[in-house]
Amino acid sequence: MRRAIGFGLFVAIAVVTLAFLLLPIVGIFVHTSPGKLIGQLSNPVVKDAFVVTLKTSLIAQALILLFGTPTAYLLATRRFTGHSAAVTLVELPLVLPPAVAGVGLLAALGRNGLLGSSLDAFGVSLPFTQTAVTIAVAYVASPLYIRQAIASFEATDPHLTAASRTLGAGPVRTFFRVVLPLARGGLVAGLALSFARGLGEFGATIMFAGSLQRVTQTLPLAIYAEFDVNFDTTLAMSGVLILLSALLLLTLRIALSWRKSPSSRSPSLFGLSSSA
Amino acid sequence: MPIRRSRLALLAGLVVLVGLLVLPSGGVASAKRAQITVYAAASLTNVFPAIDSHEKYSFGGSNTLAAQITQGAPADVFASANMTLPTTLFQKGLCSKPIVFTRNRLVIVVPKANSAGIHSIYDLTRSGVKVDIAAKGVPVGSYTLQVLKNMNLTAAVLKNVVSKETDVREVLAKVALGEADAGFVYSTDAKTVPGKVTVIKVPAWAQPKVQYGICVVAKSADKPDAQAFIKLVLSKAGQKKLLKYGFLPRVKHVATKKKR
Repeated sequence: MRRAIGFGLFVAIAVVTLAFLLLPIVGIFVHTSPGKLIGQLSNPVVKDAFVVTLKTSLIAQALILLFGTPTAYLLATRRFTGHSAAVTLVELPLVLPPAVAGVGLLAALGRNGLLGSSLDAFGVSLPFTQTAVTIAVAYVASPLYIRQAIASFEATDPHLTAASRTLGAGPVRTFFRVVLPLARGGLVAGLALSFARGLGEFGATIMFAGSLQRVTQTLPLAIYAEFDVNFDTTLAMSGVLILLSALLLLTLRIALSWRKSPSSRSPSLFGLSSSA
Repeated sequence: MPIRRSRLALLAGLVVLVGLLVLPSGGVASAKRAQITVYAAASLTNVFPAIDSHEKYSFGGSNTLAAQITQGAPADVFASANMTLPTTLFQKGLCSKPIVFTRNRLVIVVPKANSAGIHSIYDLTRSGVKVDIAAKGVPVGSYTLQVLKNMNLTAAVLKNVVSKETDVREVLAKVALGEADAGFVYSTDAKTVPGKVTVIKVPAWAQPKVQYGICVVAKSADKPDAQAFIKLVLSKAGQKKLLKYGFLPRVKHVATKKKR
């Protein structure tokens, strides 16, 4: 009897939690019919913001992949003095308020900033450019990828890499032929999360890159700018972002289920190699 | 036993947390003289608390505030940097008939270093100059467009615009930081960052009519106190404070007609 009441309580709380999370999304899609949403997609503000968002996000994610993967591999496989400090540094943007990230980027890369002033001497000015949007997105989104990548690299079986090395493969070949395929699922999942976070970037972008249609106005900035001009446009753009984010989360689920297969296979492989 | 105790502590913590979240909205506020919520244009950020430090303020772009009020935000008073927004709210039955309570004028600000060498509004047309303005819907943004139109500089300056901000203080901040070479703000904003920006005047003949309107929000739960606040702003003491902060005296006649 008491057990039944306890279980009922859990169900009730779970229902409230799920309803709370679902409510704003329902609100958006109740206010805007699919027809309206598609109609708003031809609105130049929405179209331009979509293009700017996609372009800056894709470049930012490519950079995150390029720089984040080797960094994560190193942090996952080597222990050195300052290792925890480095991991903390990698994770910091995750908990930093985006506005602080914006201030920091201005202080570092703004015209009068730490590096910005020397860049300015070469005639390069970052603020108010699409490059600035990309940098802001890369800064706030990178921890999500790198963290996941570290975890995936740590989860790869060290015996397999050792076996690869003893069989004559160099460290680079081992990385590309053994480690990367094993960590693939986790890396894709991390990238999906990082992508989703980057799409929603607002605070650092508006402070560091400003907001100008066709140049730096991403979907979140356009949502804010259109809020008082045309609420329908705001709703349509929000709908687009929800669909995109949901798609990315779905990718994440699928990617994580990939990871299970190689890791569930690895013990048997390991068994073979150790008995040999 | 220790498990029980830690559970109890957790429960107590949760109760306190919920209590903290719930209490301020009801109990504490009503203890003193009723405190009202004033939604006011960003340019009033310094002067309104100086006139009345007792109220709760939400400063921002007047257009954002008006949109929030339209969506049912719990404001008692709306003070806008133009007459258009409160008049529209009034026509929709969302606030009382707005009254002009002060005026302002538009200026150009440049960073103290002025590395772009800007000395007049005409310098803003030079290629490579980074001009920051407010978005069209923000009052100061539409005033900026009026100035440019009056001076026949619209296309020449807009091609140099690098960002459109959501309120006037954002424009000011980006110029004060030296990220933008110039920006259009109210003369009162320029005074809030002395030593960081230099003011360049906009010719008097090109000045738009910058009137600030104030009204009581229709859904206000405390209209008497909202009225009292407006009375205070319009009083001699309130007007003196506004002048002290660089605002212009409100004109006697209530002009709701827009200058064409």
